[in-house]
Amino acid sequence: MSNRPDLVTLSIDDREISVPKGTLIIRAAEDLGIEIPRFCDHPLLEPVAACRQCYVKVEGQRKLMTSCSTPVVDGMKVFTQYTDEEVKKAQVSVLEFLLINHPLDCPVCDRGGECPLQDQALAFGPGESRYREAKRTYRKPLPLSALVALDRERCVLCARCTRFCDQISGDRFIELFDRGAAEQVSIAPGEDFKSPFSGNTIQICPVGALTARTYRFAARPFDVKSGDSICPHCACGCNIRVDQRRGEVVRHLARDNYAVNDAWLCDKGRFAFQFPDSSNRLTTPLLRERGLEPVSFGEALAAVAEWCRGSSVAILGGGRLSDEDAFALSKLARTVLRTNDIDHRTSGSSDPGAAPVEAMQAAGMPVTYEDVERAKTILVFGLDTENELPILHLRIRKAVAKGAKVFVVHPRRTRLWDIGKHVLRLPGEEADVAAHVSVAEEGSDLADVRRGLADAGPDGVVLVGPRLVGSAGAVAAVATLAGEAGAKLALLCRRANDRGALRAGLHPALLPGGRSLVDEDQRASVEGVWGAELGSEAGRDTARILEAAAARQIDVLFLVGADPLRDFPDAALARRALENVRYKVVVDISSEGLAIYADAMLPAAPYLEKDGHYTDWEGRAQRLRPLRNPAGLARSEWEIFQELSEAMGADMGFHSLDALHEEMGALLAGDEAAVDAATPARSPTARSRGAPDGYAPPSLATEPTDTGASRAEASGVAGTATSGRDGELVLFTYPLLVDEGRLSAGADALKEALEEEPFAEVHPADAERLGLVEGAAARIRTSAGQAELPVRITEGIARGAVFVPYNQPGFAANTILSGRLITAASLEPVAARSEVAS
Amino acid sequence: MAEFEPVLSARWGNPDVVSIDGYMKTGGYEALEKALAMTPEAVIEEVKASGLRGRGGAGFPTGVKWSFIPQDTGKPVYVVVNFDESEPGTFNNRELVERDPHQLIEGAIICAYAVRCHTIFVYARGEFVWPGTVLERAVVQAYDKGFLGKGIAGSDFDVDLVIHRGAGAYICGEETALLESLEGYRGQPRLRPPFPAVEGLYKSPTVINNVETLSCVPHIIDRGAQWFASMGTEKSTGPGIFSISGKVNRPGNYEAPMGTTARELIEDRAGGVRDGKKIKAWTPGGSSTPYLTAEHLDVQMGFDEVAAVGSLLGTKAMMVLDESDCIVDATLRFSQFYAHESCGKCTPCREGTWWVTRVLRRIEQGYGRMEDIDLIKDVAGNMLFKAFCALADGAVSPLDSSIKYFRDEYEEHVNQGRCPLKEERPILRAATGRSGGTTGRLAQILPEGEEIQLGEVLG
Repeated sequence: MSNRPDLVTLSIDDREISVPKGTLIIRAAEDLGIEIPRFCDHPLLEPVAACRQCYVKVEGQRKLMTSCSTPVVDGMKVFTQYTDEEVKKAQVSVLEFLLINHPLDCPVCDRGGECPLQDQALAFGPGESRYREAKRTYRKPLPLSALVALDRERCVLCARCTRFCDQISGDRFIELFDRGAAEQVSIAPGEDFKSPFSGNTIQICPVGALTARTYRFAARPFDVKSGDSICPHCACGCNIRVDQRRGEVVRHLARDNYAVNDAWLCDKGRFAFQFPDSSNRLTTPLLRERGLEPVSFGEALAAVAEWCRGSSVAILGGGRLSDEDAFALSKLARTVLRTNDIDHRTSGSSDPGAAPVEAMQAAGMPVTYEDVERAKTILVFGLDTENELPILHLRIRKAVAKGAKVFVVHPRRTRLWDIGKHVLRLPGEEADVAAHVSVAEEGSDLADVRRGLADAGPDGVVLVGPRLVGSAGAVAAVATLAGEAGAKLALLCRRANDRGALRAGLHPALLPGGRSLVDEDQRASVEGVWGAELGSEAGRDTARILEAAAARQIDVLFLVGADPLRDFPDAALARRALENVRYKVVVDISSEGLAIYADAMLPAAPYLEKDGHYTDWEGRAQRLRPLRNPAGLARSEWEIFQELSEAMGADMGFHSLDALHEEMGALLAGDEAAVDAATPARSPTARSRGAPDGYAPPSLATEPTDTGASRAEASGVAGTATSGRDGELVLFTYPLLVDEGRLSAGADALKEALEEEPFAEVHPADAERLGLVEGAAARIRTSAGQAELPVRITEGIARGAVFVPYNQPGFAANTILSGRLITAASLEPVAARSEVAS
Repeated sequence: MAEFEPVLSARWGNPDVVSIDGYMKTGGYEALEKALAMTPEAVIEEVKASGLRGRGGAGFPTGVKWSFIPQDTGKPVYVVVNFDESEPGTFNNRELVERDPHQLIEGAIICAYAVRCHTIFVYARGEFVWPGTVLERAVVQAYDKGFLGKGIAGSDFDVDLVIHRGAGAYICGEETALLESLEGYRGQPRLRPPFPAVEGLYKSPTVINNVETLSCVPHIIDRGAQWFASMGTEKSTGPGIFSISGKVNRPGNYEAPMGTTARELIEDRAGGVRDGKKIKAWTPGGSSTPYLTAEHLDVQMGFDEVAAVGSLLGTKAMMVLDESDCIVDATLRFSQFYAHESCGKCTPCREGTWWVTRVLRRIEQGYGRMEDIDLIKDVAGNMLFKAFCALADGAVSPLDSSIKYFRDEYEEHVNQGRCPLKEERPILRAATGRSGGTTGRLAQILPEGEEIQLGEVLG
């Protein structure tokens, strides 16, 4: 450290320290363990020096300096409140100023007991106030949204919240209004604080001014039990703290982890914590006799084992399991149930051409948050970052603030619109678009993408959205594009442990560590550890499992934290499948939805009741700890799978988590070595830092085509808009951040604040052609069904496309889909009643 | 000293100079043509040599300020004219613009030429409706005559001038708050460094000068630095316009060489104190400069001379209080001004101005306690040099200096339970808050008709 030329040495309270150039005094003091009180300072926000609490004396300066805004200088001598009386008096006086108009209502304030103002007033403030006048008062609380309440009397006007909205989320809903002593945080009249990151302002508020309406008066810091965990909602891997009061979760807070979520959480992660305590929670095994009857685990597992013996078994789900659960399930499927019909990807058909990239992703950490933050160019391909991976979205915004360029190839404008360049293209054409980048004409939007990637070289990052796995040739084509540019490539995933499931091999063609099932050497390395011979033919993916089930080719269907009726983009097929499988075994935390179909329901443990890991989109495994006992008889899935193996007379040997970890270590830890050994043909650098070689996209048209029609037809979309058929559009869908998803059950305030009503979004040109009017209903017809939705018209969508959200209240898009997240659709206005009458 | 001939106000008696033709008849815009024939560096050197110091209050040498402007940043350079004159007691910029707008425009163009700027912004105080209009008309005429626009006055130098009217905030006279406001943000001061000379308007090098400062510039170019420096004192050169108000017989703007004594200005030029009363206190440079008293009347009105007696030259705004004026009341009014104009960004200013205003009001109304006097002094000390910008320092000036010179008058208020110079003690009554509760004994009493404080602010 000390020999680095970019270090400067200074002394604080006569103690020397060397820190990087540009470090602020307050940070250097932290490094020395010297606490300087502060309110407006936040390490992730630009300094504002507004609260004036963090005064220090710098030798040679006439005035005291705010340590939050003053960078260190070589040889600087700094004195804090511990060594300088003038500093101490200044700090005491600022605290006195802050308290004169503060209501001092700590006994009824949610922040009481965990309040920086309270703590610092106690540590550094005056014992008594000299203020004898009337205090400033405001109407309180001011509801900023269904989630956030503002109590202006308590506010110290540090501007952390407004700076967060300005600098971090870009959602500038709240602002400082008025001036002088009447300065206050507020929001435009009639507006709601409709940012999916609003909850962060509550957490960084250094007083009780911003409070969570879900937590107001719900608990005190001293009567909650806190524990560290990982957010169960998406693959961002956010570090959270779970607070429970009398065994019920009362809130999620972000934990700082600068390698992952910085200090942030999205509002879903923060406010959708009710599901583990839902009334639908499965607490005991259920077995269908006359109805679903509670039984013991032994009884239930004996029955399931009996059904499975010699039967054709398929398994859906796994994206919400822990790494350990997924690994146990992978082994159970392959060695006990003897099936390769297993898939954690529940959202439709998948392109087999994506498997090599998936394998690459499964085997390591090709791209990290840090890579994104340091990138010079970021290409987001087929992803709505804010809705699908919100904390990655914030990291992209941070990268842009540091100078990165961002391009988004997507059918629909995303919340990166203000800082990124969007290339709007029809869904289904992704492979063509990716192939076209290298030959696009100068001056076109795709040529800008090419230049951006070329300029960045190895500092380029290409992020591939999970939906592209369902688009023919797309993942391979984007991988080729990234490989040519020398950019890093990551194939993203959405659910909390999709990545761990992929890594564990819950995939029809991939074994643990991304090893290919069909590759004899790679399969052999798994067989060696598991001591069993594995089937050598790739299994069915989700779509084909459901088709087979519907055709009565499957006897037992395991649904592990998966509900195809909701998740699969063809509700009718999912229903037929469930109706035509003899035995449905549901392993889940909730009985919601599937109880009418299930033959056995086995109660599982959610994130806060189990020991294990979640692996985020990067490939980073993070620890889950049991923060309470599982409800009732519920238990971790790996235990259930182990017991089932015993019931089937084929003990997997997972009698403890340690035993499980040992075997995972053999197949997953040091993946790179393992896979290297298995696939000597692959160069490690190519695998970990770029597109994998060893596979080619030759069967795909790499030459640019003028229209996406051929691709769209190949991918099952009969006739896109370019085919010219009147009224035909390409309908696409994906879940918005806040929707009717199962893990949002009970998050009523979150939904009130952020959940949108269903809608159909079209381009103005299409709207005009089809006679659609903003806000009026349109009838959407597809080969699978029809729906009526209100129309939204926006320039921010590709011509010829129509977007509907996947699962909003009153409308489930999978009722009009045929197994893919895109389909051909025709739209027409629904005549208003009066028009019909006339 | 030879007989002083007005410079800046020389044309004030001639209403024709408001139009460009009238101005040019008096030799207007000749200095600009002369400057355009010089190199920009030579113009800066001339201004440096003149010893001109910024008239906005800080007194920074103008030529030096211009020479700080980096020319190799690849960014445009901006000149911003600070015409947000809002200091209580100060009204010389207003008259300079109303009566001789082209003098300012010419000075601003010369400045732009010197720092190689092609866009000048004039930030005009929002309340200055008429002066702003006068200036707008003058700018149109300057464009018509080719002194603004492309290739001005036959040279190859291009410069535009944009007038922006503020929305009525004292803080926007603070240069970085002015820039924020000009960029369309809340008028609150910016963190420095970077300083405006390096990163000012739109993160580009920016010169910000006061109206009077720039009005001096054409004369410096026209008649030379030496002539300019021959006026005034060694470190405060040239002429200055003194705004004299309060209890004098002839309040108004008076031009005199810098360094003229306060006695000459107040007694000779402004006709002395009204009704033969005695001077009690006066401000040398507006409400944000510490009061001086009758014993300081012989001070020379130059930057360093006024500082030497414990005040500041500020904007040369001399407000005169006589013996019938209550110093507590006057200080209360100043404090109310600062409490009203504090931008709210930083704690000491926002809360300190609020607090002392309330304590002062209580004392003035007869409900003060003896310890309140030291409380005000201490709170003022906690504001001084502790706030984000100089607004709070200005707010402290009348507090500190009034207690320093007139502590006995404060004590009289407390002892008598009333203002000794007012006839009646205001009737107070119990005030109730929104909840009907009360917060502390003294908080319960408020003056009649004043239902502020509790539940007052902005439902």
